[in-house]
Amino acid sequence: MSRLLSSLRDGKGFDIVLVAVPLAFLLVFSGLPLIYNVVMSFQAVDMFSLGTFNRPWVGFKNYVDVFSLPATWPIMRNTVIFVVCSIAGQFVIGFALALFFARGFPGSSYIRGLFLASWVMPGLVVGAMWNWILAGDFGVLNYALRSLGIISENIFWASNPAWSLWAVIVANIWLGISFNMILLSVGLAAIPRDLYEAAALDGANGLQKFWTITLPMMRSTIGAVISLGLIFTLQQFDLFASITSGGPANSSNVAQYWAWEMSFRQYDFAKGATISVVMIAVVMIASVIYVRSTRHEVRG
Amino acid sequence: MSIAWTNRMLLLVALGLAALYLFPLYWMYVTSLKTGSEIFATPPGMFPASPQWSNFVYVWETRNMGRFLWNSTIIASGTMALTAILGTGCAYVLARYRNGWIDLALFLVLMLQVLPASLMITPIFVGFSQIGLLNYPQLAVILAVTAKAMPFFVVLVRATFMSVPGELEEAALVDGNSRIGAFWFIVLPLARNGILVSAILIFMQAFGEFVYSKSMIQASELQPASVGLNTFMGPNTTEWGNIMAYATIYVTPILAAFVLLQRRIVSGLTSGALK
Repeated sequence: MSRLLSSLRDGKGFDIVLVAVPLAFLLVFSGLPLIYNVVMSFQAVDMFSLGTFNRPWVGFKNYVDVFSLPATWPIMRNTVIFVVCSIAGQFVIGFALALFFARGFPGSSYIRGLFLASWVMPGLVVGAMWNWILAGDFGVLNYALRSLGIISENIFWASNPAWSLWAVIVANIWLGISFNMILLSVGLAAIPRDLYEAAALDGANGLQKFWTITLPMMRSTIGAVISLGLIFTLQQFDLFASITSGGPANSSNVAQYWAWEMSFRQYDFAKGATISVVMIAVVMIASVIYVRSTRHEVRG
Repeated sequence: MSIAWTNRMLLLVALGLAALYLFPLYWMYVTSLKTGSEIFATPPGMFPASPQWSNFVYVWETRNMGRFLWNSTIIASGTMALTAILGTGCAYVLARYRNGWIDLALFLVLMLQVLPASLMITPIFVGFSQIGLLNYPQLAVILAVTAKAMPFFVVLVRATFMSVPGELEEAALVDGNSRIGAFWFIVLPLARNGILVSAILIFMQAFGEFVYSKSMIQASELQPASVGLNTFMGPNTTEWGNIMAYATIYVTPILAAFVLLQRRIVSGLTSGALK
């Protein structure tokens, strides 16, 4: 007993307690739900069997049901469009801004930091802000586009099925630019200056320097930023809840919002769990790529 | 053109870009100060003609904002405290040793960081309702959000601990400190700033948390401000002045904290996210 106590105070026991308690917490509140999710996706779950663990097993029926719903493929298509366009927009604009701020003029790092304000804001507030900017009749974006002569009639961003998904994409790109820019700035700062000096001596122009030095040197950073972008984009829920609620008629619905809707709007927890399992698998694959692309940095 | 001039031009462009980027934020503040007819004027005015505070008073009273913000504060404080208590020790051990087990634990932590809340809520909701946790909805939300936020905290704080020289701790041990003593009196004070900034980031995240609260807290007097804002924003709403006033009240404390701690937050994020 005293040996145990002294180990806790002074030896390996101290480390083990410090790391075991939080890991046990994570296992209970993240690991178990993860497993329970898979279990539920193979069960018939309704409001009556919600309170019991002893539910009938139905094999792959939930998966078959989900993938034979008429809404499934349009929603999957929306998810792909949402992810690809969000990441492309965030990355290109974020990279351009990172390159601009990398010139290192006085005040650049402070102003660059201001961009992160978007990152600390509650998602619902960002959604409310964009909801108002994108409003059909009196939204300021429609006004700006009209004055520039780009559109002749107001676009009802959130309620027109042709535009609703793009309303959320625009807001999500805005939200993601800052994070992309800050992470890419870190990568840019790590490129040795003398590479550029040597290239300048050899007579390379700006574009050549970018293609032959910046891009190759940033490869692992770019990989990490894009896979992080994928992870964050698939976590995006608040903007859907506050701008379009997935509507109208699922035109802006994506898998991660649909899974929640299945469980908490239609109370079909089995289908909600099934969609979640599929999407979690996608996220997991993305994060393995992320961990691999930062591996040499993780191992330091 | 001299270097000073180039720098001045670049600074101007940078300010322009920042203004363009932060315009939605500005628009929220301006709208919350406008009168009803000004909000729906064409062309929209860039400045409020005569700033009004009535939107704030109205929203604060009719939407019961004090209650909502207090609930957000409870959830955010609980999450921050639990995360800091559990996560700090974990980050310390993960930073101090290098072996296969540590790598495995680190990998697990990284993987748990990426699980989307809207996908995890289904099993968490069903499981919590089965073990009766949903009778204490705010506690249930705190536990769920902590599980979601802790991996991020561990990654950030681990980077801080790695910058504390191990020799200092060894010296304390040679001087007769126990491991607990060396950890408590030497390592923790040296890592204090990093832990504090990470904890504040967790507070900010939990303050805006939505999915878990929306799904698990049914009683409106227990709901946080994010859920309150969501129920305020109907599909065909025209109360934009009030909604923007609500959003302003909600977000201003967070933005104030962000501006004060900006430099530390940015450096904390960049050191943790890629390492």
